[in-house]
Amino acid sequence: MRLQAYSYDWIVWGLFLALPFVIFWQAATSLEEQGVAGGGPMENAASFPRLIAWLLLGLAAVNGVRIALCRISAPSPLAPTPTTRLACVVAAVFVAYLLLLPWLGYHLVTPVMMATTMMLLGLSIPVAVAGGVAISLLVAAVFQGLLNVVLPVGLFEITLFG
Amino acid sequence: MLDLLIQGAPLFFTWQAVLLTAAGIVAGLFIGVLPGLGPLMGIVLMLPVAFHLPPIPAMGMLIAIYVGGSAGGSISAILLRIPGTPLAAATLFDGYPMAQKGRSQDAIGLSIIASSLGGLLAGCVLLFFSPLLAAFALRFGPPEYAAMALFGLLTIAIVSEGSTIKGMVTGAFGLAIATMGTDEFTNAYRFTFGNFNLTSGPHIVPVVVGLFALSEVFVQIEGGDLTASPKIQRLRVSFRALRLILAHKVNLVRSAMIGTFMGAIPGAGGDVSAFVSYAVARRLAGPDEGYGEGAEGGVVATEAANNGCCGGALIPSLSLGIPGDASTAVLLAALFLLGFFPGPELFQYNADIAGGIFIAYLIGNVVLLIAGIVLVPFFGSVLKLPKAWLLPAVILLSTMGTYALQNSVFDLWVMLVFGAVGYLLRRANYPLAPIIIGMILGPVLENNLRRSLLISRDGLQIFIDRPISATILGMTGVLLAYVVITLIRGAPKAAKDEESSE
Repeated sequence: MRLQAYSYDWIVWGLFLALPFVIFWQAATSLEEQGVAGGGPMENAASFPRLIAWLLLGLAAVNGVRIALCRISAPSPLAPTPTTRLACVVAAVFVAYLLLLPWLGYHLVTPVMMATTMMLLGLSIPVAVAGGVAISLLVAAVFQGLLNVVLPVGLFEITLFG
Repeated sequence: MLDLLIQGAPLFFTWQAVLLTAAGIVAGLFIGVLPGLGPLMGIVLMLPVAFHLPPIPAMGMLIAIYVGGSAGGSISAILLRIPGTPLAAATLFDGYPMAQKGRSQDAIGLSIIASSLGGLLAGCVLLFFSPLLAAFALRFGPPEYAAMALFGLLTIAIVSEGSTIKGMVTGAFGLAIATMGTDEFTNAYRFTFGNFNLTSGPHIVPVVVGLFALSEVFVQIEGGDLTASPKIQRLRVSFRALRLILAHKVNLVRSAMIGTFMGAIPGAGGDVSAFVSYAVARRLAGPDEGYGEGAEGGVVATEAANNGCCGGALIPSLSLGIPGDASTAVLLAALFLLGFFPGPELFQYNADIAGGIFIAYLIGNVVLLIAGIVLVPFFGSVLKLPKAWLLPAVILLSTMGTYALQNSVFDLWVMLVFGAVGYLLRRANYPLAPIIIGMILGPVLENNLRRSLLISRDGLQIFIDRPISATILGMTGVLLAYVVITLIRGAPKAAKDEESSE
């Protein structure tokens, strides 16, 4: 059994192994409390999810054996590339963006997120700032102006094309 | 057949639908040109926009992106030896050698014309067979639909890229996601964890955008070369290929038919059909044609097949509600969310919508012919666009598109979670398409399974008693047997490969 060579396979295997147990747990608690965890096809809302859970368990067992015996064609090691850290930083910027978006609104946060991401990806500061602002405005014009979508206005209730 | 077109014409021939179909082709071509993106990404990015449009303009735009994106991938294959999409992988064999010989414009022209004509031929087949298949499906009851959903899901899981078991796991994962929300029969909340936002289950759009678009962005960033800009030879508008294609009429029709047939088999996909039609064309060609060294016939065969596949994939999608591939699964999701149910009912009660979709597909292929030739000089410029520009734009479009759907920040978090799941699955070489197909077919399977059991006096026996469902289940059984045999036979070989690689 080679853990490192199949690291991603093991991680995903763990996730898919956990899923059936979540289904069984919910069937035994939430669905049981609602009185829909048993009975005929009309009343039993847990039967189909349970069926999937058993299927996932069976597939996880087969897959686990295959990974343990190295019987899958392509390995999946946790092999960071020179830009993996950059990908993590961009992901962190995006998470920060999602956290701030409802509070500060689209027009304040989006140009900053775009410019920061473009800078991180290698564009010069003036180009990234100009590009970030331009793309943010263009997207806002399409969604707010053309499609009448109310983009997040935030605490300051800023709208440009509405 | 013509009735459908006549009913659909008033819906399609509006400035909005025609303009959006043309725009969809152009957008699809550019997205297809960019390596790593592709028709699916284009459809995914524009899916939220589509919900703000009337049904036919929306479906016209999405189908046009599908058609344009399938054709656009060949351009980077010809110019850079990097297929823009997996569909164009076989176009490398002769397209790139043609470009190396200074015939890149001929190669691109042939690929666009073959794609367009292949698509049109497939459109004729679609127009003829879809209503027939839909009429046959009127005999279906809950057991047949349940059996069909199971068959479709299994087929796609088996033939999707990566291993069969992994395809089945992601298919089952899609089914599990589909059970979240309010149960249709009991109105009970399932797997909502007390969260009000989950009472209808996770919306399919944030799931699709997260799995396909967001995860792709992070995989691309990890791939590096973020500011690189390849050198592209200057391209001009040329109509010479219109004359060249005449020498490949038989090859074109044959390849389009192969593509259409393979597209109609759920999961077979355009890439497989392109390789198959290339192999057939090569076998039937004379030795002087020089396949593999820049033969025009090679480009024609692969491109006619992979665009023919689009029309083929729409046949089971529209007439049975069983998607042919990941792109048609998202198209079906769009149709669902626009308020129409693919399957026989679409042809029975919304024949104008079905007709409008057919016209959009046919007109899309005509626009492809014109736009593909006229826009050739711009393709080189698009290929020079560095990822540092492209990827932030994809992030923002994904985010705002997802938000716009329900004005919901919660959907953005769902998108992020599925982006992370998609990233892990990609790294572990799991196919993503079965998740979406599982999400679409899950409710069809569950509801019809439970309805079948309700009307049955002998439990599961109802599936055997009815000839159509018994036949479909028999086919499913054969498929399962194939999976088991492949697994047993394949395991020692994989182990041997592993040992030899060490």
